[in-house]
Parts: sequence; structure tokens; C-alpha cells
Amino acid sequence: MIDVVFLLLIFFIVTSNFAQEEHKLPATLQTDGGGVQSEDLQPQVIEISVQAGKPIFVIGEVIVHDKQSLVSMLKRLPKEPGIAIRSAPNAPISAIAIALQAARDAGFQKRSYVPSDEN
Amino acid sequence: MIDVDLTSMIDVVFQLIIFFMFTSQFGELRRTEIDLPKQPGDEAEVRHEPAMIIDLTNEGVYLVESQPTSLIEIERLAQIGVSTQHQTDPFDVLIRPDRNASAIYLDRLLLRLSNTGVQRWKLATVGDGGGE
Repeated sequence: MIDVVFLLLIFFIVTSNFAQEEHKLPATLQTDGGGVQSEDLQPQVIEISVQAGKPIFVIGEVIVHDKQSLVSMLKRLPKEPGIAIRSAPNAPISAIAIALQAARDAGFQKRSYVPSDEN
Repeated sequence: MIDVDLTSMIDVVFQLIIFFMFTSQFGELRRTEIDLPKQPGDEAEVRHEPAMIIDLTNEGVYLVESQPTSLIEIERLAQIGVSTQHQTDPFDVLIRPDRNASAIYLDRLLLRLSNTGVQRWKLATVGDGGGE
């Protein structure tokens, strides 16, 4: 009986998943030299840079500092042209994830990331 | 009536189940522990398994199958993947970055991948509800 109970215990320990479930943020890849461009519509661009050690998001002349403001800002933009994201080399990758997530949450189907080749 | 003692049989069956559970989980366990960006992600994309998984550490080291891998080697692997991709199932890459790593490391990697013709990539995140 004890044998079986221990085996059951081990079985449930082994089969339970302790790792945090991972999610994915898809994006297309676009380069400065071309890539995913369509029709005459130019995608809007989110520029990520770092100010006083914290990432900031710049769309045109508007600067936002957090995800919620970015989402509400993006919701006001037309969705058809899509959105491109580019980042300063010293920005943390978490800021890119925020921008991709905000674009997704705001309803943009076409999301692309433009890697900088200045490095 | 023959009285059969099933205890040993149950023991053996459980041992076999545990053995197979262990061996089938090795693929998952080989994922390097990375402090991923905290975002809820896109639920629609969870099920599709990527063709290539690249880990990116805070120090800018690229890992494929938990082994440090140069950008040249990653480019070579991606080229093989792209050349053998099917139209219905395009070659896509999952990047698992440390959330504090600099964007420069991601840019270097993506530029290499774009040279090979990779057009889709995914950023791995862990959901914590509210984001960072």
C-alpha cells in the first residue's frame, strides 16, 4: 500500500508542470533596405529610445512612457497601414516586447520589427 | 479460485509510466532558463511550434539547443531551414530573449536571419497579466 502511494506521489510530481507557461508575440521582419512593404500605404513607426535609463516610445512627435498610454495612442491610429517598430541599440528587449504587445492589443494585424544595422 | 497478488504488477506499471514521462519531457527540460519579457503575448500563436528556437542571454550569447552558437552558424542553420520550408508551413523562428538584454543583440540576430529569407519571427514572453 505504501509502495503504491509513493509511486502515485512520484507520478503526480513528475507529471505536473512547474515551468511558467510561455507565450509568443509574432512579428514580421523588415529591413531598412526593403522587405515587407505593401501598396502605397506607409506603416506608422514606433521608435524606442532610452531617456534617463528608462525606455520611451515615440510616434511622430508624441512621446509616451508606458504601455497603457501607448495602447490608447495606437488605438487612435488607422490599422490598415500596419505598424513598424524600431529600437535604439541600448534599449532593453522588454521595451520591444511592450511595443509589440501594445500594437497587438490596439488591434494592429500587421506588426513588423525593423532591426537597425548601425551596429 | 486462484488468488493473484497484483501489487508487484501495479508497481511495475507505475515505474514504466514514470520512465516514459521522464524521457518524453527531456525536450522541454532542455530549454535554458531565461528571464523572458513579461507580456501576455498573442493567444492565437501558442499552439504552432516554431521550426527554430534561439535563446538570447543578458550578455548577448546566442543559444541553440542550449549550446552557445555563433551568428554565422545560426545563419547557416536558418538557411537550411528556409531552403527546405513548405509553402503551407513557412520557416519561423522563436527568439527567447532575456528581457534586460540590449536591443543591439536582437538586431544583430534579426539582420542575420533576414539575410537568409526568414520573414516571420516570434518573441517568447511569460504572461503575468499586467505586463512590465
